[in-house]
Amino acid sequence: MKMTKIYEGSHQWIMFGRDEGKPNNIIDTNQYVVRTPNRCLLLDPGGAELFAPMMAAVLHHAPVDQITDLFASHQDPDVISSLGLWDQALTNAKLHAPAIWEGFLRHYSCESIEYVPIPDNGGTIKLESVELQLIPAHYLHSSGNFHVYDPQAKILMSGDVGAAIEAPDSPIFVDNFAAHVEKMRYWHQRWMPSNQAKRVWIERVRNLDIDILAPQHGRMFKGDDVKRFLDWFDALQVGIAV
Amino acid sequence: MTNQTKSQFIAVASITSELSAVMVVAKEISLAAANAKAIAFRAGDKAKGFQPITDFINELAKETIELVTNINIYALVLYRLTVNEFQKTTAYNKFEAAAKMAEGAVYAKSMQDPVDQAKLSMQDCQRQFKRDVSQLLGQLEAVMHHARAARVIAANSRIEASQAGEYLQSLQAVAESVDKAAHTIHDNVQRCRIALSIYRNS
Repeated sequence: MKMTKIYEGSHQWIMFGRDEGKPNNIIDTNQYVVRTPNRCLLLDPGGAELFAPMMAAVLHHAPVDQITDLFASHQDPDVISSLGLWDQALTNAKLHAPAIWEGFLRHYSCESIEYVPIPDNGGTIKLESVELQLIPAHYLHSSGNFHVYDPQAKILMSGDVGAAIEAPDSPIFVDNFAAHVEKMRYWHQRWMPSNQAKRVWIERVRNLDIDILAPQHGRMFKGDDVKRFLDWFDALQVGIAV
Repeated sequence: MTNQTKSQFIAVASITSELSAVMVVAKEISLAAANAKAIAFRAGDKAKGFQPITDFINELAKETIELVTNINIYALVLYRLTVNEFQKTTAYNKFEAAAKMAEGAVYAKSMQDPVDQAKLSMQDCQRQFKRDVSQLLGQLEAVMHHARAARVIAANSRIEASQAGEYLQSLQAVAESVDKAAHTIHDNVQRCRIALSIYRNS
């Protein structure tokens, strides 16, 4: 599992992905970790298949008992089907996830982890001195969906928005936006169901000061590419399968 | 999922299926008993020996139904335990894999406690499963005992039926249906026992 520190300040952001041991028939995912001095938050910790390499990778940055928080942007298996395993490994942790998915996510088994339901209008996750904002992203693509914004690090973890299917050894940042567009087009047109939801999200996100847009699949966007992405997404017609 | 886990799931699931067939048959015996009672009543003195037998048949059917109902509840508990054991075993294997992959990581040692805990939980589940299987086998043995008793009653019924004059055929039919039902119960329960017995000492 490749590990890349994408922010270092009073706390750290680490991106995990491009797992070379991953079975070929499951989608590649990016996991993110926010590390404060004594706590650790895993964002979209991944599927059950990914649990062992992900746990092993996290152990380079934090001991098990300091993994105190998990966040699931939505209910998909590639996002959180590892929940049952984290539930057995962690003795004192919370799962922050959309309120409307609680009864569904508990199917993955969530007995020792405390489920902290995120209301539709969002909320925050306080991790020692760091306060992360939970930005509503409903219908992008899931009906109950949140992204995580860190105003200090200026990072927006954007779930499936900005995602692309990439080769396993591809770079972690977009280096040629124009060339990258074709890798994203069908994904967004097919997975995102609502132009209205998309417009509302873009309006909301344009008000945030973002250095890095960090999706759950593919490459991250940095600097001017963040605005380029928002403009491109704004102009894209989505929900094409009907 | 290993082959043994798959077999364990199938064995536990098959109990419910086999026992639902036993339940149907036990209800048939109960009906046969009611039918026999009516015939014996009509036959009067000619079926005097048959009358107490009908009560036995009825009682046996009721007890079998009760036993099977309890076993079904127990089988459900065993199924949940199988699921639990599967989850604990999966967790233990994944935790071990994570610990191995984390060799050289700064905090690799912190994985040892979850690995140890997962191993203990998994072993607890395995022990509990074996205990519960032994108990279930005991309950199944009780049903087998009832099936054997039913066959003895069926044999006695045939003897009594032979003295019932014009009611001979009707009462023999009752004896046949009890005997057939007892066979079915015996065979189904025996299949359950064979499927489960390998887990008692595994």
